[in-house]
Amino acid sequence: MEIFITLFITGVGLGALYFLVASGLSLIYGLMGVLNFAHGAFLTAGAYAAWYFTTEVRADGSLTSYAISLVLSGLVGAIFAVATEQLLIKHLYDRHIDQALVTVGLGLVAVSAYLGWFGSDPLIALPPTQLYDVVQIGDAFVGIDRFLYITVAGLVLLANFLMLRYTRIGLVIRAGVENRAMVTALGIDVRKAFTFVFFIGGFAAGLGGALATTYASGVGPTLGDAFLIYAFITVVIGGMGSIPGTAIAAVIVGTTQVLVNYYVQGLGDFVVVLLLAVVLLTRPQGLLGKVAH
Amino acid sequence: MLIAGFGAFTPLIDEPGLQQTFAVAFLFGGLALTYDLLLGFTGLLSFGHALFYAAGAYGAAFAMARWDWGIIPAGIFALFFAFLVALFTGTAALRVKGIAFAMVTLAFAEAGHVIVTLNLWGLSEGDKTLQLNFDSVPDFFLGVANTRNLYLLALITLAIIYLAVWWLTQSSVGRVWQALRENEERVSVLGLRPFSFKLIAFVLAGVMAAFVGVVAVVVTNNANPVMASTQTTISLLLMVILGGIATRWGAVIGGLIYVVLSQRLTTLDTQGALAGLPEWIGGPMSEPAFILGVIFILVVMFSPGGIAGALYRLRLKIASFK
Repeated sequence: MEIFITLFITGVGLGALYFLVASGLSLIYGLMGVLNFAHGAFLTAGAYAAWYFTTEVRADGSLTSYAISLVLSGLVGAIFAVATEQLLIKHLYDRHIDQALVTVGLGLVAVSAYLGWFGSDPLIALPPTQLYDVVQIGDAFVGIDRFLYITVAGLVLLANFLMLRYTRIGLVIRAGVENRAMVTALGIDVRKAFTFVFFIGGFAAGLGGALATTYASGVGPTLGDAFLIYAFITVVIGGMGSIPGTAIAAVIVGTTQVLVNYYVQGLGDFVVVLLLAVVLLTRPQGLLGKVAH
Repeated sequence: MLIAGFGAFTPLIDEPGLQQTFAVAFLFGGLALTYDLLLGFTGLLSFGHALFYAAGAYGAAFAMARWDWGIIPAGIFALFFAFLVALFTGTAALRVKGIAFAMVTLAFAEAGHVIVTLNLWGLSEGDKTLQLNFDSVPDFFLGVANTRNLYLLALITLAIIYLAVWWLTQSSVGRVWQALRENEERVSVLGLRPFSFKLIAFVLAGVMAAFVGVVAVVVTNNANPVMASTQTTISLLLMVILGGIATRWGAVIGGLIYVVLSQRLTTLDTQGALAGLPEWIGGPMSEPAFILGVIFILVVMFSPGGIAGALYRLRLKIASFK
């Protein structure tokens, strides 16, 4: 039982990281119809920023430095994402396949640039040692860092929810996901919402990068791509464009993966992709997705 | 014509390393062509094509290594195996369309990748490659001195794939594929079942990819997990888009350019061509994928239709000039 608790919380923690990547993907796809293959590159950029800050700029291993590095990596991810939208995606509106292709190309370029700058070996990050302490829950021991991931992802979920529900731009995004042509016809400039969605998606991904660096104890050029595949799976299972659906799916994917992998190494990854196939074949719109019009 | 040209070139390319590079390039040209059959001619965006390439390679390598079969029965076994895999995954994946189809195929391919990488059920050698059983292939395909024969083998493979794709796309079934790409609803109104035709395209492209996979085992002497990775499918996508979609020879050119560039650009760095550049730009420049990625982005943004499209527009311009 105790091992189950440990694994379950670790799984939810991993799911929290998937959520940080997947929430942006989901909104971008829901609003713009762009499948963003460069999202992993945003995450990796954030991860390198966090690594650089905590090992080169403020290598004191304090929680304050770590907190600053989280915000910094979020901003790096956001800036990268907005630049992508402004320089590449914007010029290809209404060419959905080409938009996806451009992000595929950018993903390749980014990974090889990281490879050229930082080398292929993972760079070891040294987060504050407090994060690696364990707490006891019943008879089980769980690493504190798991709770950090869950908390941050929970805050992002809450912020997303409040933004979508109570702000004007959130209203435009929700309406745009529902029916973009109608929103445009009403004279609202959806393109600002596009840029904004990239900003928040990039921020969450960069934040996820800093946390993933802690989770994986380091950052390599393909860190983001490793997360991207499972984030895609999360988005599709949850339903494109639905943030609550993405959150539920993230927990399902993370826990399934960790639990099954504990018993047979690697089988968890296999089960998760089969889960995706099963969900798509029985419920193509995902758990909470809307039926396509 | 192009293939005959490369056949005529054979005596000129006499360095084994170069012959090997071209052999691999021909195979990827053929593989890109089978991908174009789906993407360009039927309008199916699959992210799982690597699965069938790997099924062919691993099927053949497995039968040769574990059962000591000869290359011919092992190859037939691999094609049959890939046929079954394609039939199963295609039947499931084609129930959904568009991005969902892309995702389901990605999932199936990732499942295959996991199986070979982690050596589930002892089917592969995990991260290590599954080596070619040298007793299973004729001697004239072995050893550095015989690289020329591998070059020819790869060239013939490319020619077979090219002719098969040419014949298929000209056939009445091929015309239905292209009609599906343009307007699926209209096809079904005409009384044809889109599902059956798409499944035929999916399975045929899969079996042809497996054929390339079998030959790849002979040419590269192993089956490895990279063959099954999404990275392989993405590079096929790049090749087809770079060369020009739905033109047949565009995919071949794209494959050739991609492989030759990615192998030759590496030597650019070792020859010191990048020595004068500052580190922040020289570092990425030494990665072939960086330059290929940049070219790819530029092609998508400024030259839709790839190389074939650009040449086509050039020809129109010259024609209107007269």
